[in-house]
Parts: sequence; C-alpha cells; structure tokens
Amino acid sequence: MVLVRIPGTLRYRDLAMRAVAAASKLVGTGDRVFDDEVVSAFGEAFNNVAIHSYRDRAGEVEIQIDVASDHLTIRLLDTGDGFDADAVRVPDLDALPESGLGLFIIRSFMDEVSYFPGSPNVLTMTKRYIAQRPDGGRS
Amino acid sequence: MNCTRNDQGNETTLRIDGLLDAVSTSDIRPIIDAVVEDRRARVVVELSGLRLIDSSGVGAIVSLFKRVRAQGGEVQVVGIRDQPLAIFRLLRLDRVFSLG
Repeated sequence: MVLVRIPGTLRYRDLAMRAVAAASKLVGTGDRVFDDEVVSAFGEAFNNVAIHSYRDRAGEVEIQIDVASDHLTIRLLDTGDGFDADAVRVPDLDALPESGLGLFIIRSFMDEVSYFPGSPNVLTMTKRYIAQRPDGGRS
Repeated sequence: MNCTRNDQGNETTLRIDGLLDAVSTSDIRPIIDAVVEDRRARVVVELSGLRLIDSSGVGAIVSLFKRVRAQGGEVQVVGIRDQPLAIFRLLRLDRVFSLG
C-alpha cells in the first residue's frame, strides 16, 4: 500500500495529485483514459476535503492507495466535517451548474465509491481495469 | 496555470495553459470578470495547452459562457483534448460548446 499523509489544504493538492497519478501508472494499464479518470476523481475528492471538510480549521488527510494488476483503490481519511453522501443529488447538467459537480465526477469515473462520515470520514474509491481486446471486446 | 488575453476587433481569445483547478481558478476569475465587463461580443477559449481541469475550473468557464451569453455574445471553446475533453463530455459541455 502507498500511504501519504499531508495537510488537507489546497496548497498540498498538487503533491497529492502527483502521488495518485504515479500510483495509477503502477497498475500498468498503459491506458491514459484510466489514469485521467483516476486523477480526475481523486482531485475532486481532495477538493472536498480541503474546501468543505476542513473549511474552517486545519487538519490532515491520509491517502491510502492499493495497487493491483487490474484495479486501484484509493481511500481518503480526514477528521473534518463529514456530509451525507446519499443526500447529494445528481446535478442537472442541462442547467449548466457552476458548482456541485465533484461527487458526480467521482461517481462517474470510479467503479465503486463509498463514503462513511465519522472520525475519521472515509471515502473509498475503486477503479477496475478491463483490457480492450483488439476486436474491441473486453477481456 | 497561465492565461493570456488577446483582443482583435470584437473577438477576445483567452488561452489557458497548464492546470485549471481549485488552486488556480481564483487567478482566472479577475480575467473573466474583465472580459465580461468589457462586453466582448465573441470570446474564444483556447485550451490546447490545458493539461488538467477540475470542477472548479469548469465552473469558471461555464460562468464566462453564461455571462457573455446573457449580454448577447458568444463563447467558443477550441483545442480541448485529453482529460479536459473527458470532463467536458461527462458534463455534457461538448454539446454546449459544439466540440463534436
């Protein structure tokens, strides 16, 4: 497991993103779309911690990354304010929202997402890799 | 993130390079505000050098689009690719900006 523990502020966002991008490449898919979607989802998750969970106080975020040959699991643990993920509605994209898109992006790009508020709050995201066969099918 | 503005006639081109995310979006807001205040009729957002965007960055571009359109102007996004294009497609902005 790759473990990163850093302050949960936007100042450390780029560092965290680089760690996740590097870990995603360890899955060895060679698939840019896979890596882009993992990094995109993680970026939104980190934003949520820095902007919402720790909006009025300082705190750390622990990032646990499990790398396997066919999937990647990322857990973010923070001790800030949690939220009710089930209460977050799917955004009305036709209305061109300017905010409230983070969780939608996470859920869209990752295959499994769970969030349990508490101390700590734990967000777990898994993305599986299914190789494309030359004929366009999946193996 | 680096953003440059170039005005030619009634058209403004905003070229955004690098990362447009929760960290850098605050840097681009004043530039967007100035374009809107100048009531530019046509705004081209050139994103061929944009490496990564998040929902904060998308919010800034959508804000630009809504405000310019409310003034009767138009906004076009060109050159977008890779991760930023995937985000735009996911959020159905490819239809709004006719990205094909």
